[in-house]
Amino acid sequence: IEPSAIMYKSTSLFVIFLSLFVVSEAVFEDQVGKFDWRQQYVGKTLFAHFDSHSQTSKKLFLATDKNIFASFNSRTGDLFWRHVDKAGPEGAIDILLLHGQDALMVVGDGRLLRSWDTNMGGLNWEAVLDTGSFQAACFVAIQDTVKHLAVLKNAAISLHYLTNGHQKWVENLPDRDTVQYQAVYSGGEEEIYVLGVVPNSHLTIIAYSLEDGEIIKQRSVEAPWLSSVESSCVVVGQGMLMCVDPGTLALYTLPIQAEETPQFSQTLLQSLDLEVSPGFQPVLVSSQPHPARSPISEFFLQLGPHHHVLLQLNGDGYTIAPLRDFQPAFLVSFATTGEKTVAAVMTPKNETACAINLFSADSGRRLLDTTVIFPLDLNGGKPHKLYVHAFLKKDDSVGYRVLVQTQDHALTFIQQPGTHTDTGTYTQTLEQLFGHNDHRYVWRKKGEACKPKNTIPTVKHGGGSIMLWGCFLFGIDSKSGSILWKHYLENVQPNAVFKLIVQRTTAHFPHPPQCTLLIKDKDTGLASLHVFNPIFGRKSHIALPVLPRPILQSLLLPVIDQDYAKVLLLVDDQYKVTAFPSTKNVLQQLQEMASSIFFYLVRSDQGNLSGFRLRKDLSTERIWEVVLPTDVQKIVAVNGKRPNEHVHSQGRVMGDRSVLYKYLNPNLLAVVTESTDTHPERAFVGMFLVDGVTGRIIHEAVQRKARGPVHFVHSENWVVVSSSCCSCSSCSSCSCCSSSNSSCCSCCSRSNSSCCSRSNSSCCSRSNSSCCSRSNSSCCSRSNSMGLPSGAILSLPKMFLDPRRPEVVTEHSREENLIPYAPEMPIRTEWFINYNQTVLRVKGIYTAPSGLESTCLVVAYGLDIYQTRVYPSKQFDVLKDDYDYVLISSVLFALFFATMISKRLAQVKLLNRAWR
Amino acid sequence: MWLQVRLSEVCLFLQAMFTLACCFSDMESGPIATSGSVQPNGDRFKIEGRAIVPGVKTQDWISSARVTVEGEEYIGFLRTDGSFVVNDVPSGSYVVEVISPGYKFEAVRVDITSKGKMRARLVNFIKTSEVIRQPYPLQLRSSGPHTYFMKRETWGWTDFLMNPMVMMMVLPLLIIVLLPKVVNTNDPEMRKEMEQSMNMLNPNPELPDVSEFMTKLFSGSKSSSSKAVGGSKYQNITCTQGPPRSFFIRLYNSFLSRGFPSSEIQVCK
Repeated sequence: IEPSAIMYKSTSLFVIFLSLFVVSEAVFEDQVGKFDWRQQYVGKTLFAHFDSHSQTSKKLFLATDKNIFASFNSRTGDLFWRHVDKAGPEGAIDILLLHGQDALMVVGDGRLLRSWDTNMGGLNWEAVLDTGSFQAACFVAIQDTVKHLAVLKNAAISLHYLTNGHQKWVENLPDRDTVQYQAVYSGGEEEIYVLGVVPNSHLTIIAYSLEDGEIIKQRSVEAPWLSSVESSCVVVGQGMLMCVDPGTLALYTLPIQAEETPQFSQTLLQSLDLEVSPGFQPVLVSSQPHPARSPISEFFLQLGPHHHVLLQLNGDGYTIAPLRDFQPAFLVSFATTGEKTVAAVMTPKNETACAINLFSADSGRRLLDTTVIFPLDLNGGKPHKLYVHAFLKKDDSVGYRVLVQTQDHALTFIQQPGTHTDTGTYTQTLEQLFGHNDHRYVWRKKGEACKPKNTIPTVKHGGGSIMLWGCFLFGIDSKSGSILWKHYLENVQPNAVFKLIVQRTTAHFPHPPQCTLLIKDKDTGLASLHVFNPIFGRKSHIALPVLPRPILQSLLLPVIDQDYAKVLLLVDDQYKVTAFPSTKNVLQQLQEMASSIFFYLVRSDQGNLSGFRLRKDLSTERIWEVVLPTDVQKIVAVNGKRPNEHVHSQGRVMGDRSVLYKYLNPNLLAVVTESTDTHPERAFVGMFLVDGVTGRIIHEAVQRKARGPVHFVHSENWVVVSSSCCSCSSCSSCSCCSSSNSSCCSCCSRSNSSCCSRSNSSCCSRSNSSCCSRSNSSCCSRSNSMGLPSGAILSLPKMFLDPRRPEVVTEHSREENLIPYAPEMPIRTEWFINYNQTVLRVKGIYTAPSGLESTCLVVAYGLDIYQTRVYPSKQFDVLKDDYDYVLISSVLFALFFATMISKRLAQVKLLNRAWR
Repeated sequence: MWLQVRLSEVCLFLQAMFTLACCFSDMESGPIATSGSVQPNGDRFKIEGRAIVPGVKTQDWISSARVTVEGEEYIGFLRTDGSFVVNDVPSGSYVVEVISPGYKFEAVRVDITSKGKMRARLVNFIKTSEVIRQPYPLQLRSSGPHTYFMKRETWGWTDFLMNPMVMMMVLPLLIIVLLPKVVNTNDPEMRKEMEQSMNMLNPNPELPDVSEFMTKLFSGSKSSSSKAVGGSKYQNITCTQGPPRSFFIRLYNSFLSRGFPSSEIQVCK
């Protein structure tokens, strides 16, 4: 072994020792939940199932678009457990089926088949499926017991045992180049039917033997009107395929199991007195209560957005009879308990509420005492989907629970009250349930947090509101996490990018605080402004500027108008500048200041970074340009300094009593590039420090054998870049601090010394995001917050990232409080500011100074939201939490009495002495 | 608390020694033939293992745990018996860790050759080529719950008494109180000497001296030394060449004279 390795070991050991004594930021156990809150989200629900295993079960299972499989307590909305799979299509959940206690899931477009034990929240088994894209899956039962699962892919069908996931058989599908296989059906017999379609030509039905996968029969039926089985066909009754054709406005039925070559029999909708809304694609809804039995012969046909019809297929298999017409009806759903099948229908009641009623499926009669009211939230979007769980009550009547999914992806659980319909308790239970479930919002798109400073001065620590949004804009109480207000943003494209700007804080009473949301369409570049009061969420009635051209850059100036609102400059693609607000006063101020207003533009596709200066007539002139050749590296991120950053000390006293001045250029831009070459040996991450006014490159550094994702923090005179190392597969963070000593500007950097860091049980697994703590006047030491993929938020003292750390400890470095350099950084779980409250898939961390100098507010957002406080230099300006008032006052009293008594004793003594 | 810190230091040191010893002992490198299971879909392999938390039922922790390979590149979930399989992993070198908010697990590096041979070794980010073999299929045993929290300092008698400041205060007090009892105060010469040393220690006679007050209080009113008052005593200091002083007095003197200018003590000699 080389001596250097031993040295490394010993130095890292030393760091561990040292870190034991360093001011740590850990949480005390009694502080849990005192200053922090976490909200866990799951995403948009794709599949939901009630636990029908037992009558009293409170469990609810969801699979969502964020690749999460979760179990909820249906009564309270609390999460029992959730399993977060890999983000992206590789972890996408294709289907979720529930069988008894087991939940079966196909993941990653037919990549994996998983079976979960829903009771424990653990995996039963996981099986790898053959390649091919997933089409459909269904349970297969023999003699009333479900033992197998059939998985249909575009090229093959396979049958798996439910007990261990092993494959019973797999068969390639015939003519898979021409036929699109889309559905699989099993009605409890010895055969499995696979339905495929050649669009606008014919339908193919293949029957496979359950035992060995042999093709029993294969037929094709002429169907020139059929384009997709998936979207227009369902199986109804005793294996009858029911299809709807929007072209001919007719229903087609076909017996799947028929021996001879049958034809589709046509029933015109007109003959049933039914009419499809113009431009609407009719949808069929059927239900197969148990995989061992055939589906029920009743089905819903949706004829318009709010028009459903309950139809019944008669025993002869060809005649269709309408049972009941529901118009208007938002949503319909079937539910089965025991032998009874009911249909739940949601109908609009008035402007603010919907009513859900149960109807008997076989007759279409309304069941008595089954109405529940679902209040509509005008800001929350319309109901989108209905999940019904029916159960038999003691008196053999049907009771039910409903889960309503609305367009804002919120879920509301409504339970029908007991047999005695007491109106008082009825509304109460409903309210409770709503109150609880109302907060289960799901963030759709990129969220960003903003915390206006000291919004409510009465609250200690400057509590206020945070706004996060998807398509919705939310005001959240930073103290408790409850939603104060929300807004639905209209006309927001799904790929829009946002920027939130605080133009006026609460400090200017009677002017209300003002926040501006800049929404930019990513494709067209056209932007719109949304101005509102962040405290109450009211939209402001300020006249907004017209923005006809794509916006390239926005710039918040420290200039204020007569209403104390900061001026926002928007630069369009012709380099013309629009000011908001653009009063006369503002324009005059801008003219005066024009020569000192500079801005920069980045074109990462051209590798171009250019600087502009404002002219008096609000046009601009280009003054510098930096080109980074795009064939070598591409610009990943550009970050300036925060405009309101305070730097407390300008310099630092060195060990030899000289002063090292910090290079504090407020216009400094940090540009991070990634190499286009992704080969592990040649990949690199580059960093440039560019002066934003002159365009001079002040410093450049290259981290070799590193690749993205890159996260970096730029503050005071230092930049911390974290990237992942190609060879060692760990995260390395390089920090660069520039400082000027007296007159000559020297850059001291240690970019090559990668600080490979070790985490809780391995490396500092790549950080997802990072941000540094801030305080009002920057008297405190800084700490960097990083979100780790494990769900922890690490608060790393800046001391451990100091680039001036010496390799060999000297007297001087000890005097400067520098810890020795160690290539491996220990990550202690005490540094996790969110302790065991994991926050998964962190997208960003936002920090804001609070009213107290020692305290910094931190919000981490991503899948979950977590807010807490950090004290990088401990709480020097507040009394400790465990400050013992009783002890201190009792000691004070004791001392007081002791003085009194001793005084008396001394007096007696002196008197005695005098007498002697 | 102090003890704990010390203990953990010692533990860490021992651990480090152990790893160093391992470095010296295990020098073999290169993949060792262990049969990895090759799967039908090309060169994709699976990483198998088992995680154990001693003394805790699996259902209490598996629902919140997961297995990550290389950050979040590949994710596996734990089975109800604590075992896990991460499927669909191409050949390469990976850091496998079991992430549980409740329990600590050591990470393991797993190397998969292009032929599907597997080996597991300790993670070392500095020397990535170093091989310290671990069993494969992985056996990950939790080393206990995570320590997320700092301990509050609790008030206890032992902590209070062991505090150096308190000890510095209490010990002189004890000596002051006990010495007059131990030393034979009836011996006039001794008493004289004591008096002298006491007076010498009282540079400002106007200030009432606590120790003087205390000695007087505790040595009883029979002492006649109170006749001499304050300032005049200072002139009385003479260097006595009397009989050798007892050990106690020396100790007493040296203890009390700590922190005073040495020149004043020189006077006594």
